[in-house]
Amino acid sequence: MELTTPGVATLRRDPDQRALGDAETADAALAASGDGRAFERLYRAHVARVHSLVRRMVGPDHADDIAQDVFVRAWTKLATFRGEAAFGTWLHRLAVNVILARRTTLGTERSRYADSADSLDGVAGRPAAPELSMDFEEAIGRLPDGARQVFVLHDIEGYRHEEIADMLGIVSGTSKSQLHHARMALRRHLER
Amino acid sequence: MKDQWTDRLSEYLDGELTGPERTALEAHLASCDGCRTTLDELRRVVTNARALDDRPPTADLWPAVAARIGLSSRFKARPMVRRFSFTVPEVAAASVVLALLSGGAAWLIGRRGTVPTPPVLVSERAPALLNAPAYPGDARFDAQVADLERAVARGRGRLDTATVRVIERNLRIIDRAIRSAQSALAADPANSYLNLHLAQEMRRKLELLRQAATLAGARS
Repeated sequence: MELTTPGVATLRRDPDQRALGDAETADAALAASGDGRAFERLYRAHVARVHSLVRRMVGPDHADDIAQDVFVRAWTKLATFRGEAAFGTWLHRLAVNVILARRTTLGTERSRYADSADSLDGVAGRPAAPELSMDFEEAIGRLPDGARQVFVLHDIEGYRHEEIADMLGIVSGTSKSQLHHARMALRRHLER
Repeated sequence: MKDQWTDRLSEYLDGELTGPERTALEAHLASCDGCRTTLDELRRVVTNARALDDRPPTADLWPAVAARIGLSSRFKARPMVRRFSFTVPEVAAASVVLALLSGGAAWLIGRRGTVPTPPVLVSERAPALLNAPAYPGDARFDAQVADLERAVARGRGRLDTATVRVIERNLRIIDRAIRSAQSALAADPANSYLNLHLAQEMRRKLELLRQAATLAGARS
């Protein structure tokens, strides 16, 4: 079954995964009481997803540092995890918060959301033959910051425009517009 | 080619247009090859995005994370109980007291000819099931759980209520995971993942009970 809950759109829940979810909730409880092994199990289970989210949102240069920050923050906040949602959902939202908090330090500020159509066209307008086979991930990485973050949060992570607008401090219309520009730029890099 | 409808195609794709807007756009699509092509490409972009695989970092970040949260080695947990330190004279005095108490107890037992119920040593590691298979109805598992639960119950009054609540909440979570695994195994007894998962949960229950018993004992 595909869940439609924002932020967990990519999580599918079947009986095995429900059992896994219970195991992770138990690990989270153990980790909250200081069990380092339990926390390492949670780290191993989620590091790929967290790292991928960070890499797509801020690029590869700072991905390792910020992914570490996410898990350090998770360790300090474990007591606030009540088990009402899946641990992965809780961690994912925490990761988004850590990433967004780091945007300022990394120079990705709100003004960047006024990405000009020119800069987006620049991503799309490289029609040389090698670009056609450009890795889709790499093409996402070449989007301007604002368009890239909205695209990642909406199309990859499943958040709604209203949530994205709230997280990024923009209006919903800007989020929709950025998403459309990002998609228009990326269609040039589809597999032919 | 771009027209007045091109910039609305994503909203159409996401089902965010109003009824009249949707009707108008669909009418336009019927006669505009360019917009149909663009819509198809946008749809493929969305499909690609949803199909992206997550990739782990090229280097293992765990050692750095562990160091930053104070886990000095890979398998060392953050200490849960207060650390005690004693001076040499204190240790010597404690030894004398222990020897006197042991001698006195032995003398009493010999004199009365009765065998008192041996105390449960909550700080002693019970014969570990950690490396043994655990399964529902395993007598050793049940016996250890019962022993540890008695030890925790005895020391419960010495724990503060917040600690007791955390322990009980965690036990409920683990018990729920055990029941869930048992129920899934009833339908699929040969499922190796479920068997492993159940064994892990049972081991976790023992670990938590041991920690709780040690904590209760350490504060006595």
